[in-house]
Amino acid sequence: MNRVFDVIVVGGGHAGAEAARICARGGLRVALVTMIRDAIGRMSCNPAIGGLAKGNLVKEIDALGGLMGEATDRSGIQFKILNRSKGPAVQGPRAQCDRDLYSLAVRAILDAEPDVTIVEGAVSSLIVEGHAVRGTVLVDGTTLTGRATIVTTGTFLRSLMHSGEVKTRGGRFGEPSAETLSNSLQALGLRLGRLKTGTPPRVVRDSVDFRRMEEAPGDDRPRPFSILSDRIALPQVLCHLTYTGDVAHALIRTNLHRAPMYSGQIRATGPRYCPSIEDKVVRFAEKERHQVFVEPEGLDHPWLYLNGISTSLPPDVQDGVVRSLPGMEHAVIGRYGYAVEYDFVNPEQLEPTLQVRGGEGLFLAGQINGTSGYEEAAAQGLLAGINALQHVREEEPLILRRDQAYAGVMIDDLVTLGTEEPYRMFTSRAEHRLLLGCDSVYERLSPIADRLGLLDDGRKRRTAARLNRMRSATELAEATDLKPDRETREWLAEAGIDLTTQATVGRLMQRHAVDVERLLAVCDVQLPNLAAAFRDLTEDELEGVMSRLRYSGYIERQQREAAKLAEDEDVRIPADMAYELPGLSREMVEKLNRVRPVSLGQASRISGVTPAAVSILRLHVRQRKRRVEGSGASNATSRVPSSLEVAGAGR
Amino acid sequence: MTAEPIETIVAPATPVGRSALAIVRIDGPAAAAILQSLTPSQPLAEPRVAAFRRIVIAGELLDECVVVRYASPHSYTGNDLVEITLHGNPLLITRLLRAVIDLGARAAEAGELTERAVLNGKIDLVQAESVASLIAARTPLQAKLSLTNLEGMLSRTASAIRDALLQVIARLEAALDFSEEGYDFISREETREKLEGAVAEVRRLVETYRRGRATTEGLTAVILGRPNAGKSTLLNRLVGTDRAIVTPIPGTTRDILRETIEIGGLPVTIADTAGLRASSDVIEGIGIDRARNAALRADLVLYLIDAEEGESEMDRLELAQLVERDVIVVYAKSDLADPPVGELGISVRDERGIDTLLSLLDERVRERYAIPESSSAIVNERQREAVASCEEALVASLAALGDGLDEQMILVDLYRAANSLGLLTGAITRDEILAEIFSKFCIGK
Repeated sequence: MNRVFDVIVVGGGHAGAEAARICARGGLRVALVTMIRDAIGRMSCNPAIGGLAKGNLVKEIDALGGLMGEATDRSGIQFKILNRSKGPAVQGPRAQCDRDLYSLAVRAILDAEPDVTIVEGAVSSLIVEGHAVRGTVLVDGTTLTGRATIVTTGTFLRSLMHSGEVKTRGGRFGEPSAETLSNSLQALGLRLGRLKTGTPPRVVRDSVDFRRMEEAPGDDRPRPFSILSDRIALPQVLCHLTYTGDVAHALIRTNLHRAPMYSGQIRATGPRYCPSIEDKVVRFAEKERHQVFVEPEGLDHPWLYLNGISTSLPPDVQDGVVRSLPGMEHAVIGRYGYAVEYDFVNPEQLEPTLQVRGGEGLFLAGQINGTSGYEEAAAQGLLAGINALQHVREEEPLILRRDQAYAGVMIDDLVTLGTEEPYRMFTSRAEHRLLLGCDSVYERLSPIADRLGLLDDGRKRRTAARLNRMRSATELAEATDLKPDRETREWLAEAGIDLTTQATVGRLMQRHAVDVERLLAVCDVQLPNLAAAFRDLTEDELEGVMSRLRYSGYIERQQREAAKLAEDEDVRIPADMAYELPGLSREMVEKLNRVRPVSLGQASRISGVTPAAVSILRLHVRQRKRRVEGSGASNATSRVPSSLEVAGAGR
Repeated sequence: MTAEPIETIVAPATPVGRSALAIVRIDGPAAAAILQSLTPSQPLAEPRVAAFRRIVIAGELLDECVVVRYASPHSYTGNDLVEITLHGNPLLITRLLRAVIDLGARAAEAGELTERAVLNGKIDLVQAESVASLIAARTPLQAKLSLTNLEGMLSRTASAIRDALLQVIARLEAALDFSEEGYDFISREETREKLEGAVAEVRRLVETYRRGRATTEGLTAVILGRPNAGKSTLLNRLVGTDRAIVTPIPGTTRDILRETIEIGGLPVTIADTAGLRASSDVIEGIGIDRARNAALRADLVLYLIDAEEGESEMDRLELAQLVERDVIVVYAKSDLADPPVGELGISVRDERGIDTLLSLLDERVRERYAIPESSSAIVNERQREAVASCEEALVASLAALGDGLDEQMILVDLYRAANSLGLLTGAITRDEILAEIFSKFCIGK
């Protein structure tokens, strides 16, 4: 049987769900193929969304019309802004979620899209016509055809789970592996690699004594991720903190030979930033204890997730390690930790659109590209979806710049540098971090999504309202002078500010020492319009306005730097560029041929490509351009403005 | 990509001016054919062999020359290249250039031959820059410095600073990205100490610029003193010619005379100046002002005192103005009177003390201005700018730290510092930072 769609999405995880949803938003008929319908939106590992840098990705997804923020708000049971004490750009929202509610929320959002058809089945191969991919063949023989195919198979490609000496085929506990799809990818000429990740044991909640652990509460006022959410409806819960110690460490050392990573049973690379407990004990032998965050799997879920001791040690060792933790003396493990090995496609083989180079219509997103993390997967899924949509509509692709979004940083890193270990987002990967704060995400990205027709009216209305509120408060603060009375002058003097002449409210707010609440109280009386504009802001919006006022100097500097770098992004390198140029070393030529950068900017970020090499490329690109000029190939594309872009609107 | 069609270009390879010999280079595919046209009925020179040829233009003998032909890719630029060495008469050179252009070449733009060498991979950009310094080198030490740079001594010194920056950046980044890991990655106090250390290192590098500049551009020395102290006589002696007019009449020298000699491996431009006195003569007065100004700008001042007259009140006043300068006091005419004990006396007439003065100058220049031969220095403006902006950014990061701003603001400036330095050392990559963090700290829940 053959079924015809516009887009086929393979996999219903965080990447697949975003891809399917956004394509449907764009008016395409979508087939979402998943082995188990109920596994859509499943959280394979920790029951949390967001965190440092990752939280920014979730906000970016929300600003672009994705679903992760919404699903989190509907299932979040503890919200916390990390790095609260630090500057706005590195604060990251995180939420513990009810695992089952999260999955249900994703399902509900997909079910609300009439153009998404969920197809239960396993994909056996891709349909390839010449250099183009036209759909998939399922194990039962059904063919699904479409102009674009988005593969988001997570850890399921030829996946193998390890628990001590026991090996089981499968990508997640109780779920089978996709054994043959790798062959189709290899047939397209793609090089595959092998990665490893792991998950910790879950313990039965009723077997744990919380009194012997530290409490780890969330924020008093949970702040939603999505612009669509006004508040969090679910009750909020505590997490706990406990520690490993000598007993656990000794037990692990004694049994190291039974750990697949050390016995040689696993050769694939795991993430450095998410080491197993056996890795931590070996590599940091001097550390006396390691943190273990005890996180509820849900409001009524019988299990707790032990964040910090991911392991593939055999069950008997896991029992011993867990019971050595304070509060866990009588703990019963509900599911043992395990490691999983899987195939991935080194992402250097992708274009910045996430389309496979030399595989027209085939897009890859998520862990198949060598990343780890729900948020990383979802952001790729969304961008792959948007680009598949543009591909089908035959419109310009969306490539986010590094100074526009963490998603842009991530995808550029992946396709430019490739990866040897599971890639995770860190704020330090972005060179223009101050421009990528959560507070400015709707300003940066929503107009783009709106131009592509991805935002529904509700989102547009809420986004426009937010931007207007923030804009008018900022403008008023910058334009209005405060004539301080004696009392005000006195407390300002206490804050170290000598205010003999008048100054704008904006200038006063720039000073860290100024108590904004108190200043607004003064404005209530003297400058009621300005005060009202500020009182209109949500807490989140107020922080955004404040950070813009306070860090304007730094922000403007980064904007200038980014603009300078962006010039090289606009110097396109022809697709058929031959890199065997005098002056470039063989290694550089090899790397350039592997990555095939689309711009001089991207070329400059390839590791080992020196500034001198970039100068040589520049000379050749310029020379070549001179030769082809006059052939009259101009492709000026008309740009439809977004209603969210207002003339003179800040950044 | 197919090879680009390249034009044949021509340029004089030596400075235009009267000289014994001059070299003209023709670069590009037509070089050999042009040479053949210029040397009718003579065989084409073998590659890389110097050949004697008569250049004939429009049937008329231009000059008898030595020509060397290089075949691609074995030439400076990597292209076919011809070098014609002719006699150094500007008229001859101009006629040759015109003839070559008539034969189809075009005049090269400044630096175009070197650009071709870079494009053809014969040299890289840093080398190209050093080549420019080598070309300008006037003394052996200068040439040596350029060669040292070619080998990257400077890069190595800057690398040490880069490593220190990497340590701090990695820890500050860890404090932002891994704030939940239970580590105190780096204290503000330690950050401050490390950054202050880096600033000190960078300033030392900036100091080498002074020396580097002295080495590539040379020094200035001014001979100063009261009228008739023997300044012009000393200049003539040092230069070895009768450059300055010497008379017993005070005030003979009115404007500044300059000559360049080599001292301590560096070119030193020595200026003879008008004698210092209160003069009612307007012209002499201007000369005296100029002398004082020149002394204030000079690297070295040779202050001459007439040994017979001894140090006068006026000398004391003049010397007091020069406390900030590098001054050597010399007692001239020591054949007529002995200098005070411990002071250097010279007599040009008897050739006394001249060697002592020369070796003192030599020592002084080597010690204070020349770059120790084994060390590195910043020699060009691009490098100086890089290091200076690194210093500026480091100071800004310290200010941000002092203002109580958090890691990300401090890091904005630190990355600026690292990127500036990166022009010498290669940039600090994000992967390096993460590698540093993961190797030093146990990260990961």
